[in-house]
Amino acid sequence: MTTDQHLLRQLSDASVSVELETEDMTLNIGPQHPSTHGVLRIVAKIDGERAHDIKPTLGYMHRGYEKLAEVRNYPQITTLINRIDWTSGYANEIPFLVAVEKLMDLEVPERAQYIRLILTEMARIASHLMFMGSFPLELGATTPIMYATRDRERVLDLIEGVTGGRFHPNFNRIGGVKPAAGAGSTMRKQSQDLPAGFFEETRRAMDGVRHSCDQIEDLINTNEIIVARTRNVGVMTPELAVAYGMSGPNLRATGVKFDLRKVEDYLPYEGIDFEIPVGTVGDSWDRWNVRLQEIRQSARIIGQAIDKVPSGPLQAKVPKVIKVPKGETYVRAENPKGEMGYYIVSDGGQGPYRVRIRAASFSNLSVLPVVLEGALVPDIIAIMGSLDFVLGDVDK
Amino acid sequence: MTLPGYGLLKGMGVTLRQMFRKPITVQYPKVRETPVPRARGVIALDQEACTVCMLCARQCPDWCIYIEGHKEEQEPSKPGGRVRVRAELDRFDIDYALCMYCGICVEVCPFDALFWSPEYEYTEHNMDGMLHDMDRLQDWLATVPEPPGLQQ
Repeated sequence: MTTDQHLLRQLSDASVSVELETEDMTLNIGPQHPSTHGVLRIVAKIDGERAHDIKPTLGYMHRGYEKLAEVRNYPQITTLINRIDWTSGYANEIPFLVAVEKLMDLEVPERAQYIRLILTEMARIASHLMFMGSFPLELGATTPIMYATRDRERVLDLIEGVTGGRFHPNFNRIGGVKPAAGAGSTMRKQSQDLPAGFFEETRRAMDGVRHSCDQIEDLINTNEIIVARTRNVGVMTPELAVAYGMSGPNLRATGVKFDLRKVEDYLPYEGIDFEIPVGTVGDSWDRWNVRLQEIRQSARIIGQAIDKVPSGPLQAKVPKVIKVPKGETYVRAENPKGEMGYYIVSDGGQGPYRVRIRAASFSNLSVLPVVLEGALVPDIIAIMGSLDFVLGDVDK
Repeated sequence: MTLPGYGLLKGMGVTLRQMFRKPITVQYPKVRETPVPRARGVIALDQEACTVCMLCARQCPDWCIYIEGHKEEQEPSKPGGRVRVRAELDRFDIDYALCMYCGICVEVCPFDALFWSPEYEYTEHNMDGMLHDMDRLQDWLATVPEPPGLQQ
């Protein structure tokens, strides 16, 4: 008997009864990974095909906006908060401005309020269309992003036509919206009211958005692969979602009918007829469908708001040097990603004493270790994509 | 219940149909889209209008405007008149590597010396090159478009 044969016999005897020791593999995703929507690092332990002990590592994109806000005056801060969630820069400005106006006890003209409402819903459409494109892309479908960006571009062009900026509009002013470019001699003062043809172009663009939604729905919701990859994947119960402070479409996908547009009165939503789409199971599929329906509802809101825009001034009377009275307040708003709020403490100066930013994506992301526990490795990306977070919104 | 594989075939059908359609994208250097009149491309300066009041430099959220000036005595308009002092601009640089394109400087200027131009082709190979001086800013003044009409 040769040594080899002897060894083989010994091995075959041993393998029957001895349990082999296995080791978990540590999988590191990111921080630079296309599917992390920015720079998020996820460390996961992999046991076979299942992931457990997920640890999201944040902070790669921390820009310290809360601190930066303390050394700037109120008009300067709106330029910073545009950049928190860059997929919907316009919607970020609203809660901050409303909070300052609340402290100053300012009455915003109605026309300005409706312009804010229209542009906020446009930002929501732009943000959700980005999701409509990027989520199937993460599952391997490349067509929807073409449809989505096509119509997102039209919406962004409309925002740019009014505000001058596509991603960072900086169009809101304390007490209304930007009334004029150039505050100097009236000779060259240009009104920043809605440009000519805005309503007609918006109606056409909303038809385009609805058409794009139909196309994406027709393509994706009947696709067997997408359905198999999203149905009953990443399920969240309403209790879990509430416990982790989730908000926005992610919360509504679990069946909780909670929308700040119906609860708070930061913009004139009460006169507008719209529905809150909710899911039933709370899986990736529901999160996808809730957002798809929300785009249609936003298009519906814009259609109604256009008919209601009154004429009048764009900004309330405010002093040239804005000083906010002593006090503190918290204002929250329904952003595309969820609840965004600003807690402002004012000591009576030109800038805030302290600003606390409650960004939606941060809370939405905090559920990752729970929802990814025991998920298949390819589903990690799918579930992360379905939560639709932006790292600028997480790290602030 | 639909036939198995129906959704996949539908996706392929979209790809096939799209092959015979014209793309909606344009090829950039050959075809150029015209930006909207309000587009915030670059800040243009009217040197004659500037009075070196420094309001823009102070209000800039990241302080990327550098201004220097001096006082100059002007000859009185008629003999025996008062000597007038006028501020002259020596330096007006904007660091576009820092600029956030927020437009606060354009808004606060009390003498209408700053304007937005939709011009966007001024990239440089290194960051130092993004500091543009007042002559460059003056050149951009010619590209400032007429403001758009307003919605009735």
